[in-house]
Amino acid sequence: MNVFLDLVAGTLTQGLIYALISYGIFITYKILDFPDLTVDGSFPLGAAVTAVLLTRGAAPWLTLPVAVLIGATAGLCTGLIHVKAGVRDLLAGIITMTALFSINLQLAGSNLTVPRAVDTIFTSRPVMALLGGVPLLYRKLIVSTLLALVIKLILDAYFRTKNGLLLRAVGDNDTLVTTLAVDKGRLKILGLMIANALVALCGCLVCHEQRSFSATMGTGQMVFGLAAVIIGTTIFRRASRVKGTTAAVVGSVIYKAVIQIAISLGLPANLLKLVTAVLFLCILVLGTRQGKGAERRA
Amino acid sequence: MKKTMKAVVCLAMCAVLLFALTACGGSKTAVKSIGINQYGEHASLDNCRIGFLQGLKEAGLEEGKDFTVDYQNAGFDDTVNAQIAASFAANNVDMMVAIATPSAVACFSAAEDKDIPVVFSAISDPVSAGLAEGNITGTSDKLPVEAQLDLIRTLQPDAKTIGIIYTTSEANSVSTIAEYQEKAPSYGFTIDAIGVTAQSEVTQAVDTLLSRNVDLLNNLTDNNVVGVLPAILEKTNEAKIPVYGSEVEQVKIGCVAAAGIDYVQLGIQTGKMAARVLKGEITCANLPFETISEYGIYVNSAALAEMGIALPASVAEKAVESNAA
Amino acid sequence: MLELKNITKVYNPGEITEVCVFRDFNLSVEEGAFVSVVGSNGSGKTSLLNIICGSIPIESGSIVVNGQDITREKEFARCRRIGRVYQNPAAGTSPGLTMLENLSLADNKGKAYGLRRGVDRRRREDYRAQLSELGLGLEDKLDVKLGSLSGGQRQAVALLMATMTPIDFLILDEHTAALDPKTAEIIMGLTDRVIREKHLTAIMVTHNLRYAVEYGSRLLMLDRGRAVLDCAGEEKKNLAVDDILSLFNRISIECGN
Repeated sequence: MNVFLDLVAGTLTQGLIYALISYGIFITYKILDFPDLTVDGSFPLGAAVTAVLLTRGAAPWLTLPVAVLIGATAGLCTGLIHVKAGVRDLLAGIITMTALFSINLQLAGSNLTVPRAVDTIFTSRPVMALLGGVPLLYRKLIVSTLLALVIKLILDAYFRTKNGLLLRAVGDNDTLVTTLAVDKGRLKILGLMIANALVALCGCLVCHEQRSFSATMGTGQMVFGLAAVIIGTTIFRRASRVKGTTAAVVGSVIYKAVIQIAISLGLPANLLKLVTAVLFLCILVLGTRQGKGAERRA
Repeated sequence: MKKTMKAVVCLAMCAVLLFALTACGGSKTAVKSIGINQYGEHASLDNCRIGFLQGLKEAGLEEGKDFTVDYQNAGFDDTVNAQIAASFAANNVDMMVAIATPSAVACFSAAEDKDIPVVFSAISDPVSAGLAEGNITGTSDKLPVEAQLDLIRTLQPDAKTIGIIYTTSEANSVSTIAEYQEKAPSYGFTIDAIGVTAQSEVTQAVDTLLSRNVDLLNNLTDNNVVGVLPAILEKTNEAKIPVYGSEVEQVKIGCVAAAGIDYVQLGIQTGKMAARVLKGEITCANLPFETISEYGIYVNSAALAEMGIALPASVAEKAVESNAA
Repeated sequence: MLELKNITKVYNPGEITEVCVFRDFNLSVEEGAFVSVVGSNGSGKTSLLNIICGSIPIESGSIVVNGQDITREKEFARCRRIGRVYQNPAAGTSPGLTMLENLSLADNKGKAYGLRRGVDRRRREDYRAQLSELGLGLEDKLDVKLGSLSGGQRQAVALLMATMTPIDFLILDEHTAALDPKTAEIIMGLTDRVIREKHLTAIMVTHNLRYAVEYGSRLLMLDRGRAVLDCAGEEKKNLAVDDILSLFNRISIECGN
């Protein structure tokens, strides 16, 4: 039973930390309709900055705002390349991502490990004071739950502000934003900045959690985020009251759980991706079927 | 029509899941459980794992009676890698065995909470990876750089420039390149190194090196480069430039020679260390990591002949012929 | 007062597909006028609106509003003083937001879109009143997403949103063309009422010759970038659909339509 609980706690922690990526993708893909590949670069960027700061003895919590700022800068680059230089959305993201690969290597080398002697946010003084008696695994779960929740609430609140409404409108119908006398380009840049700030923050938390940075850790994160958002929104497509951010969290947790199930089943490693793909297909097909059923009843 | 389609899809899914379930075996009893996290499937890493199991056996431990093995490989995916490590920790394995640096970093981090001992193998530089202290030990596969330089000098007395291609994001490669650059001058060589970021750039790098008239190419244990070795050899054979490998598998594919470590041997050494820990003789924390000191000389005489390189008797007597053909 | 001075607009300049829509085109619209613009396809009607709004660049000429040259102003900046309703009912509203959110956005036009609450609850009753004036029963749909409304309902909301804040001009870009005849009639009636009540200056491009004759204070017929008919006041009042239809047919045949 304990083993099972530990597994669930570990998986939930992963899902909740990585939910930050799916929030980011929710903003770029669902709201702005912008396929943003910057993610594969800004995720390791957040981790690289964090690893460097931690190994140089910076306070663990300081790394969070730094990662947010540097991630926003990455988003700003993609935004400027797309809006001001007129490069296509996909390409603009690829350009920034490619540049970030070198920048990350320059910052932190190919790998950078944070030694156990160095405190992470999960072992930092305020957390230890409150949760010192809780095993690290569950401390990680509690801290990541709080972070994912607080960020979700902040985002939900933002989407209800004038600026947030406008951001939602620009992806929906950018002509409307122009007729409202607002520069839609600036709004897109803002959206990309918020999204990449979240992604870099995720990289930062992953670095705290795994005590390491690797230059290749960004590979496939955009695809993960996309899958998480699509899974989440498919499941809740009939429940219009469920917020997009909630769907993003749920999607992220399901994604990580599916991989965990595949690992726990002891699959031959070469089949892991195939089984993951099949399980996703099941979720998506079931999600659509439920939707159809509801339509028939209505 | 739609219904049959759905039925077919469902059946297919069930089949895959059943297949998956049959692959799942081994219940947990009083015997020690070992979780092996291998970063990906790759000849040297596989050899390392095979050697490890052999090492345990040679130390008198029997699989099923004394220990069970949960083998996972991450398919070179960092996220899966982390999740495998986390699931080992959740399953309370008695020991994590990590093959290759990223796996060791992930396992050591996941083991922090429960202080599970970690044994690693196939890591070039455990110190800089932060894996030298704590409840962790293992074996390092640092390449015998000087032996390799010596071998090249013996086979090609007139050679001046060595071309090396490496991936800038592979820690092992970066540290080995530094060592080559440091030691090459004392053997009368200069190193012309080209860093790449992806496998697709490797063949372009080969063209660049050939255009700069290097005398030979030398491989590291760089996954990206070794992965496209046949394509590299195609170009170098045409240009009549010999390629040296860094371990036996590369020589089998067509490199002329290598002074390299035997990964099975490395695995055996690791297995014996792990056995001592499992038997309770010593803890990982008190057992410093070991670097394999023995290396083998491997030659491919067909490839040597094609390059017009004669094999001196001094080399021939200690070399192992490794020609897959 | 809107003045277009010596406007020249060429599509695909220098290419084999080069088309000159306007050459030295001049037009002035006095304050309070309601101009209907008709013309065959390719006559430059929609280009005219896009030039006024800044949606497309021009080769030469200037656009002056109330004595101020706005030729170099960007599209979004010009929109501060211009309200625009498009042919596509989806273009004037955000389908993913509720009616209330859409109206709140439009209500804030010209002010900063900052981090204050997006929807002001106190304005709810006011919005409800404005919606009920449209007479389409939309006042009960404040919390409904715009995407689930019909084209006509959306167009009515778009019209309301475009005229919610003080504007110098209302631009109507074939805004009834995508609607069924009955709905088009309702929207046209609403448009006329809103323009009268809010004393707006409006330019309406339409394919419907009857609307052009019945509504508005001035009628402009364009053909290949030239005004072939421009009448206002009494002259316009005496105009019948048949009169302009024959003219229209003649230019259409010349164009090969």
